Amino acid sequence: MTTHELDSPRMGNMAHWKPENLVGNMSLRELLFSNEYRHIALKGIFTAIIMLALGGFFALVFRTELAMPDQQFLGAKVYMTLMTLHGMVMVFGFLIPMVVSICYYMLPRVLGTDRLHWAPAAQWSYWILIVAAVLLVIGRPDFTWTAYAPMSFRTGNPLIWMGHLAIFLVAVSEFLAGAVLVRNAFSGKGGWKNTPLIAWATGTVGLLFMASTFPLAFIGLGLLGDGLGITAFFDPSRGGSVKFFLYVFWTYGHPAVYLPFVPAIAIIYTIMPRFLGFPMWSYWSGVVAFLLLALGAMPIGPHHFQPLYTVSGSYERFVQFLTLLVFIPSVLHVFNWIATLFMKPIPASARRAIPFKFMIFSIAFIVYGGATAFLNAQIAPDSDFIHNTYWIPAHFHAMFFGFVGQMAIAGFYYLYPYFTGRLYHQGMANAHFWLWQVGLFVKITGMGVAGYNYFPRWVYDYLDIPGWAIPQMFITMGGFLVGLGFLFFAVNLAWSAKYGKPAPDDPWPVEHDTRTAPAAVPAE
Amino acid sequence: MENALGISGPQATLMAITASFTVLGLAMLMGAMLMKRRWKPSYAFEFGFIAVMIGLVFYADWSSVNTYSAYQADLNAEERKVSGNYVGEGEAAFDQVVTVIAFQWGFAFINEEDEISRNAAVVHPGEKVLFKIVSNDVIHGFNIPVARITAEIDPDEKREMWIRAPDEPGKYLIQCVNYCGVGHSQMKAWLVVAGEEGPAGHENVEGNSNDNA
Repeated sequence: MTTHELDSPRMGNMAHWKPENLVGNMSLRELLFSNEYRHIALKGIFTAIIMLALGGFFALVFRTELAMPDQQFLGAKVYMTLMTLHGMVMVFGFLIPMVVSICYYMLPRVLGTDRLHWAPAAQWSYWILIVAAVLLVIGRPDFTWTAYAPMSFRTGNPLIWMGHLAIFLVAVSEFLAGAVLVRNAFSGKGGWKNTPLIAWATGTVGLLFMASTFPLAFIGLGLLGDGLGITAFFDPSRGGSVKFFLYVFWTYGHPAVYLPFVPAIAIIYTIMPRFLGFPMWSYWSGVVAFLLLALGAMPIGPHHFQPLYTVSGSYERFVQFLTLLVFIPSVLHVFNWIATLFMKPIPASARRAIPFKFMIFSIAFIVYGGATAFLNAQIAPDSDFIHNTYWIPAHFHAMFFGFVGQMAIAGFYYLYPYFTGRLYHQGMANAHFWLWQVGLFVKITGMGVAGYNYFPRWVYDYLDIPGWAIPQMFITMGGFLVGLGFLFFAVNLAWSAKYGKPAPDDPWPVEHDTRTAPAAVPAE
Repeated sequence: MENALGISGPQATLMAITASFTVLGLAMLMGAMLMKRRWKPSYAFEFGFIAVMIGLVFYADWSSVNTYSAYQADLNAEERKVSGNYVGEGEAAFDQVVTVIAFQWGFAFINEEDEISRNAAVVHPGEKVLFKIVSNDVIHGFNIPVARITAEIDPDEKREMWIRAPDEPGKYLIQCVNYCGVGHSQMKAWLVVAGEEGPAGHENVEGNSNDNA
């Protein structure tokens, strides 16, 4: 129990509760409407895991369709609906709510307030998102998550307005979540110089949530109005502008990538000192990186449609330059983590801990996927093999799943003993871990190879061109390994909640293995 | 080809930089996990890293501006007259001008003799070809892998793009890369490079030029 008292509180290593069976003792009423921070957080976390299962199931169905060229068991319409729902469910249903809920769980304890300020807003945010998810499943949009106008209101689907309304509701839900994150970031005691890094993260990303959801809400309402024939913001046949759509959409669309990304980084800053038993390498390096990341997010949206221009002018070059500069905060973060790991011997207890393993491999995936951003940011390679080929899914699956998704799962495994009072089953957790690392690596690499061979995104069938079919088969196999890993995860979390070993008072004690490395025991 | 700045051109340097950053990052992470030696890096080390990054940002910006796929106007004076303003006064600099209409779902190619093809743009080996592209419905993409170039076409605007046709006669893929509705995956056509004896058959189907650049 002394491990976290040794460290400075601003490193955020106070994320410690008394392990208890919080999930088992929750009444239905508490589950649905309680404003206690851990109840809200757990509801969000478990809903997100259901969304992960749903989105993953969609992916496996259409991955089977794509495994070989010229095989058809899904039509184009069904394929595109599954693809659209996969993207929306994973980003808006799994990634963002999961990491935000983990922040809801950790923030009040790390800051010492033990209550979530503005909890009713978090409650509304949750239920509005549920309405949006129901609308999406009933409306079955097939316009991909980017919903490019005017295609997204000319799909011939009479229920498509539900998809547009869902986009608006997602914006409202995320705005409320952002407000809660900002309010709580400011609730710590001891001044801003002692604010834990997780609060810097939620404060900056919360402001980004609140600013960037205005464009998204406008996109949702604008598409709804244009689709119903009331307005004509984005419909060129009635005087609207597609360029206007692109600029407004990507003013949300690029920050949208950071909305799950920054809280995932915050989870690293919170659990890494806990497992290592010493503070991060640098506090201020982390603070500066959070500020730079938030500042850089909104102006660089236009890099998502760089090949739109024949002659890329000064503005496009400026956007390219700013996009490349985002490398700086990212490098500051990754450098900080690796430097921390280098500082002192890594405790044997950390090497055994599943959340720690997930954390190390998510850092590997952020390096693997993040380095390619150096190419993606530049107009020239982007206008060659990058723009909307499979290179882009390779990049964002490494970042979104390899990094954010795996950090969300690391956070889940970390919190698991605290809310069930029991430890997870180590064998099943290891199986989950390795299946995911292998599956993710295979599928991300397969996507990168397919993209380098100009395989286009959003196709349900493809020509048997050299370099296309083999990577597709590998991506499908990788996808099924990830699915199998998820089964181990699901069984583990259900089984261990009832039959797992009871958790000790500190489920994550820092213990060095004295037998194998006697010299490695630190002085304290 | 002058415009295929692929594996051996400036983009190779960028790919190498990306690959070395990946390897360096993973090696540092593995070192932190596996090496016996422990070490507290100084701030100077991090600042050095950032300085290298800023240098690479300037290099990337310079390289992008000097690469044909992004800055088509910067290559030579004749082409600069055409690119971006669609007035056509510099069209004489090209061996062939093809008008392309992208629609849901397909491409129509109209050559200088006003002949329309729904599935092929017929060109001669090594020719400089100017594509004038319009879309009449939604946002489409126009990607010619062998020429290593992609354009995005917005229905509000006209768009131009030029390539140097491959020297090998054959059929090369042209595809839409922007999701444009359920028919998106059918939105493909061919760049047919006619040989001595007319358009070639199926024997030389190329998805990309990575292996013969």
